[in-house]
Amino acid sequence: MSAGVASPDAETRDERSVASPWNVIVHNDPVNLMSYVTMVFQRVLGFTKDRATRHMLEVHHQGRSLVWSGGREQAEAIVEQLHGYLLLATLEQEKS
Amino acid sequence: MTLASANEIVLEFGEIHPFFAGLLIELPKVAAAHDRGANRLYPAPAAAGEQELCADWREVVQPGLQHLFAANRDLVARDLDSWETSGTGENLLVPRRHVDAWLNTLNQARLIVVEANHFTEEDLDASVPPDLSSRRGLALLKVHFYAHVQELMLETLR
Repeated sequence: MSAGVASPDAETRDERSVASPWNVIVHNDPVNLMSYVTMVFQRVLGFTKDRATRHMLEVHHQGRSLVWSGGREQAEAIVEQLHGYLLLATLEQEKS
Repeated sequence: MTLASANEIVLEFGEIHPFFAGLLIELPKVAAAHDRGANRLYPAPAAAGEQELCADWREVVQPGLQHLFAANRDLVARDLDSWETSGTGENLLVPRRHVDAWLNTLNQARLIVVEANHFTEEDLDASVPPDLSSRRGLALLKVHFYAHVQELMLETLR
């Protein structure tokens, strides 16, 4: 395969990744303290205390909260950091 | 048990009952039992359908997390060793720069104990005190005690 010609699969993947952002979702778990989750959101995502608290409560009451949206690499880096704090976080590509 | 800032560098736990001193001493060991809580400590980064991402994650990211968690446990163990050497009747000193390691290690331990005992949200939120005559009740007490230590630390940092 020549370097300049993309396979149909690669084209599809590229179009998908350009078209749809990746979402970082934090899921509820009964173990992590609410104050701890708020602190982690402030540190990892740079949220203000109010915004961090809002997302923490959304996780607590709704079971999940979308905390970040954007490129795949950055989404992966954020999920990795959140896992480092032992939060349940996943990334998923937004359905276009 | 109390927690206060001894100065700008050190936090100081005081009035620690010998029973709870024992729970603190065993914290690094409890937190190291990763075989009992691996699914929760190393969750998948995406839905099962993202097989390639999940496989890459296990290969690339998980070892880094294992290293991070172990490094945190080592810092906590060091603080506890110093405390044991001086006698656990004394106050426990925790350098502020170790607080993140403590919060993380306490979380590792709590997640592992919860996983190992299959505690549900209902168990954790129960308003009645745990039955301390059973191993399960003691495990639940441990989860709550480690949470209390986390809360004290977070309050002191605020």
